[in-house]
Amino acid sequence: MTQHTEQDTPVIELRHVDKHFGDLHVLRDINLSVARGEVLVVIGPSGSGKSTMCRTINRLETIDSGEVLIEGVPLPEEGRELAAMRAELGMVFQSFNLFAHKTILENVTLGPIEVLGQDRASAEKTARELLARVGVAEQADKVPAQLSGGQQQRVAIARSLAMRPKAMMFDEPTSALDPEMINEVLDVMVELARGGMTMVVVTHEMGFARRVADRVVFMADGRIVEEGTPDEFFDHPKTDRAREFLDSIKGH
Amino acid sequence: MGLVELLSTYGQDYATALFTTWWMTAVSFAVVMVLSVGITVLRVCPLRPLRAVGDLYVQVFRNIPGVALLIIVVYALPNLRVVLDYRTCVIVTTVLMGSAFGSENFMSGINTIGVGQIEAARSIGLRFSQIMSRIVIPQALRSAVLPMTNLLIAVMLTTSLGSQVPLSPQELTGIVSYINTRATGGILAFLIAALGYVGTAAVIGLVGNRIDRKVRILR
Repeated sequence: MTQHTEQDTPVIELRHVDKHFGDLHVLRDINLSVARGEVLVVIGPSGSGKSTMCRTINRLETIDSGEVLIEGVPLPEEGRELAAMRAELGMVFQSFNLFAHKTILENVTLGPIEVLGQDRASAEKTARELLARVGVAEQADKVPAQLSGGQQQRVAIARSLAMRPKAMMFDEPTSALDPEMINEVLDVMVELARGGMTMVVVTHEMGFARRVADRVVFMADGRIVEEGTPDEFFDHPKTDRAREFLDSIKGH
Repeated sequence: MGLVELLSTYGQDYATALFTTWWMTAVSFAVVMVLSVGITVLRVCPLRPLRAVGDLYVQVFRNIPGVALLIIVVYALPNLRVVLDYRTCVIVTTVLMGSAFGSENFMSGINTIGVGQIEAARSIGLRFSQIMSRIVIPQALRSAVLPMTNLLIAVMLTTSLGSQVPLSPQELTGIVSYINTRATGGILAFLIAALGYVGTAAVIGLVGNRIDRKVRILR
């Protein structure tokens, strides 16, 4: 593969993705591509399908039809191949989902040791560097329940980073946090974005979207209704649906 | 027969019987734990037929009276050309029942883990076997200590099924029948045996509590 095409191949691409939950049509013909180094922010009312879409990217949600491609390669449906592909994509959840029985350090080293086959010493060295980078180095030997929500979420980010992912998905990473802890997590994400990480961020943090996003995707009723740069979208929304949504979150 | 006479005549038999009960309990429980983990893994694995097998196992062996199961093991297995000695029959019966309950204990331990951690494990690329061995089983084991303590006591009491078949040496309940057919120990002969069960259960409970406090997962 030449340098040229590698640059052009989107890191993540969704083609005509459809999904139902029973009778509910949660994703309708989703087409989306995320370029290398791009920060894509997905917003929309609750129930719009934005989390579901985010979770189809590493197949935590299966799809009914369409295609999900990672660097141009279709996502395997199951087994070892799927696990290997997932290892290359980071995922940060609303509820942190740290492993409750493992220390903070072990949470970060588990993937590198088990999946990447690193030896313990070098995995721990990298893990400590990452924990320092997200500002929780002193917590390394505690267990998750001893940390605040903001700290746990930063550990979750470090755990994903330890796998050296090609891209990272954030599924409402600050929605479960107390207000005073939101910024400490967003700061880490801003820094990641500046460092060139390819990111898909589902969030309600409009300030973050404006500051960091290269592109904003607005979803409603399972469809991508509108997309554009943050300035275009926030200042000049093209659709009524987007205007309604922006009005509804404004002004308190 | 008074207490002194009972103990002086049959003290040695009681001691041997207590040790036999302990031995059968330990062997049964060790197998119960291994089998419980196996059945539980079946019950949560991605393949539907295997899940069905695991669920069926639990439904069957949780709902058969111990004596009935023992009769099946003693009289039916030889028809399948499996001939076991009586002590093994009792242990097999205890294990079959115990592991059904043990699997239920693990299942409730697994249910406390939450789907989120499993999804996190999947998204860092762990495979099913790794998720089981690194995330699910360790947490299920640690949160199942207290119910497993109860199960250990139940397993011990279930080994008293041994009194229904000719064992040599006999276990704690069997020895009482033996004594009472030869002398008139009456209720006293039972009480001595009961003391053996109660004392053992108390120690098990104490140790179980300690282990639980040590390994309990903060949430």
